[in-house]
Amino acid sequence: MENQTILVCKNIVKKFGPVNALNGVDFEVRRGEIMGLIGENGSGKSTLTSIMAGMQKATSGSMEYKGKPWSPDTMANAQNEGVCMILQESNTVRGCTVAENIYAGHMDKFTKLGIINIRKMIKSAQQLLDSFGMGRICASDPIDKYSFEDRKMVEIVRALFSDPEILVVDETTTALSFDARELFYGIIRKLADNNKAVIFISHDMEEILTRCTNLTVLRDGNIIGHLTREEMDLPGAPEKIRYMMVGREIGDAYYRNDYDISHGEEVALEFDNVSVGDIKNFDLTIHKGEIIGIGGLSGCGMRLIGRAGFGLEKLSGGEVRRNGKIINSPLTAINNGIGYVSKDRDTEALILSASISNNITLPSLNDLSKYSFIDPRKENAIVKKEVERYLIKCKTPKQKVSTLSGGNKQKVSFAKWTAKDSDVLIMDCPTRGVDIGVKQSMYAFISQMKKDGKAILLISEELSELIGMSDKIIILKDFAVSGQFMRSPDLKETDIIGSMI
Amino acid sequence: MENTRKERKFNNISETVKKYVTGHVSDVAAYLGLIVCIIVFTVTSDGRLWGNYNLTVLLESVCVYMIVSLGALFVYSMGFMDISVGSQMGVYCLLTILIVNATGSLLLAIAVVLVLTLICGAFNGFVAVWLRLPSIVTSLFLMFIFGGIQLLIMESTGQNSISINYDLSVMLEPWFIVIVIVLVAVMVFYFFNFTKLGKYTRSIGANERATSQCGVNTTKWKVIAYMAFGVSVTIGTFFLLARTGSAGKSTGNSYSMDVMLSLILGGMPLSGGMKSKVRCAIIGSFTYALLSNGLIISGVDINMVYIIKAIAFFIVVAISCREKGVFLPR
Repeated sequence: MENQTILVCKNIVKKFGPVNALNGVDFEVRRGEIMGLIGENGSGKSTLTSIMAGMQKATSGSMEYKGKPWSPDTMANAQNEGVCMILQESNTVRGCTVAENIYAGHMDKFTKLGIINIRKMIKSAQQLLDSFGMGRICASDPIDKYSFEDRKMVEIVRALFSDPEILVVDETTTALSFDARELFYGIIRKLADNNKAVIFISHDMEEILTRCTNLTVLRDGNIIGHLTREEMDLPGAPEKIRYMMVGREIGDAYYRNDYDISHGEEVALEFDNVSVGDIKNFDLTIHKGEIIGIGGLSGCGMRLIGRAGFGLEKLSGGEVRRNGKIINSPLTAINNGIGYVSKDRDTEALILSASISNNITLPSLNDLSKYSFIDPRKENAIVKKEVERYLIKCKTPKQKVSTLSGGNKQKVSFAKWTAKDSDVLIMDCPTRGVDIGVKQSMYAFISQMKKDGKAILLISEELSELIGMSDKIIILKDFAVSGQFMRSPDLKETDIIGSMI
Repeated sequence: MENTRKERKFNNISETVKKYVTGHVSDVAAYLGLIVCIIVFTVTSDGRLWGNYNLTVLLESVCVYMIVSLGALFVYSMGFMDISVGSQMGVYCLLTILIVNATGSLLLAIAVVLVLTLICGAFNGFVAVWLRLPSIVTSLFLMFIFGGIQLLIMESTGQNSISINYDLSVMLEPWFIVIVIVLVAVMVFYFFNFTKLGKYTRSIGANERATSQCGVNTTKWKVIAYMAFGVSVTIGTFFLLARTGSAGKSTGNSYSMDVMLSLILGGMPLSGGMKSKVRCAIIGSFTYALLSNGLIISGVDINMVYIIKAIAFFIVVAISCREKGVFLPR
């Protein structure tokens, strides 16, 4: 019984137009294991698992599940058979209750003569939530009442109630807080102990190293290697894995390596006694050539500050100023040289159905327009420069952004503002869901921006990133500043965590 | 040896064609629709389709569809719609007749109609944003208002239809029609592809939030897009009037839907966005005009025309909706 194989993939090939996302991958899922899957964006890990879970079909190759050929048509189909996947982005139905979300597609259980027994459904959903230790979520509440994080937990419950044989977790934990993560790790541990299989996709090396029973590394649609638990415990394992993922040495230059906290005298952006949402009387001054980091637990209000700085929020008091001008809309922000990289990359920062070129030039069209005419040659020149600067992986700039991998999408959303030559950049979780290779280059770009005298407001949930990049770190807790730390080689995560919780 | 090479070459070509087709299903469907219409009606009408007289008739009907749907591109590319144009055109025809008959000045009538279309455009665009209503609701309101006004005007004249006392026949000269169509098409092509207007309306259709975060004042551009549509409605109205020479209670009313159908037949997605192209309006209005004209000259019972149109429409939509989004998962 030990480590019995439950699902086998043989020679799976997936093509997206000219791009080969998977080049004949062989993969085995075994019971009782938490199998880590790691690789850069675009390495094919999501593609592979989504084929297993019925989200899409392979171009060629075959799969076997419990000894029988496996080719699910839809995700619901796969879930009924016991293969379940939790996606990276939010996947709950808005406007419905928590219970309806949990039992979406499975309401037959509670239906008699076409009428759903809502009370019974809510009761059963509540029991389910309680049994996973999520009693604070109320099954009869509308789902919209809850934060992104809680909605994610509801999705997890939805995936689990059908008692899956294989659970695929696609970068779900990035969205979760510390407590929720612990809860979640407990749940997957229990699944593995009950002889089920878990496939765990994450960019967080530490998480993978501590939680998985073995690890598979993918690169460019090929499986590069497998690591056993013993190999993962060896010293130097993280370096080895990074090397396998990227195919070259990452080196030491990951974050900024200088500790020079000097910056220009000139004030670039000023929050003067700003009250927005639950944040009251917030003051902050960012100078030219300064990187200010803002951190805290998700839901502490740090995103609001970024949004206020870009004029996206209506202030209930105080003002945001740049060069004496009040910033009260994205338009005034952009006209005054402020750029904003939103955390909601796919809904706010980018137009997915538009080309790379359209996305990059959109904020700059005002400058390009001469007597109403926008010269395509000028557009192409700008786009070419940005694609080369960021090494955006694409066949042509006319390619749709939706065809790019996460890291390359993020590069496009950076490129929008470098093309516009913005002097102040507000970045909300700029490396969320971005792999190591791209992350490293992002950090290099941010360092370069500091040297070029740009002012940067870096909002991040990753403490190591804040410590590695910021001149000054401001920590928020419950919508108020709870700590400030200056850049120093001695600054440790443990010093900061205290002021976060 | 020679054969296999030829075969391989042929395979390569068919591969490329296949790739193009799968990537551009709605475009291909639009072109195919037009070509099929031409072929079928050439056969069923015994070549009468290409008769001199019929070509003139065809050109006259294409011209109104095309001018109005070219302007409609700006609105539809935002994923918005306007179903009030039909009754607007009806009222404008009546107003023009009344003004011209009373004052003898066509210019005055043009000015009045232009001002009204611009006001209606601004109303459609601004109220939809201001009250956060879907655009169809505001245009529904305008449709009823104008429908009512049209009835009131006809009631006050006490006649079934009124005719214009002005010679508009120059507008029906083929060379004049062609020049105007080309001019409008070139203008729209320019504004749609080489200015902020077209780039912004398409971006709004594709993702309004991301567009406004790029510093685009979406309210302002929505209003401008509707007003641009208004200009084309003005031009279209005068061609319609030149064709009919008179107007009554229901003049123009079908144009709201005609324009929408033309655009859909031309491969335009109703959700707007990046797939909106100028050629959608051009191909679509040809196909639509051909459908109406071809069925009649082929001797199809006039009562059957609507049903056949519906079937043809359904086929084109069914084909173009099959297009799947080919994109990598995150």
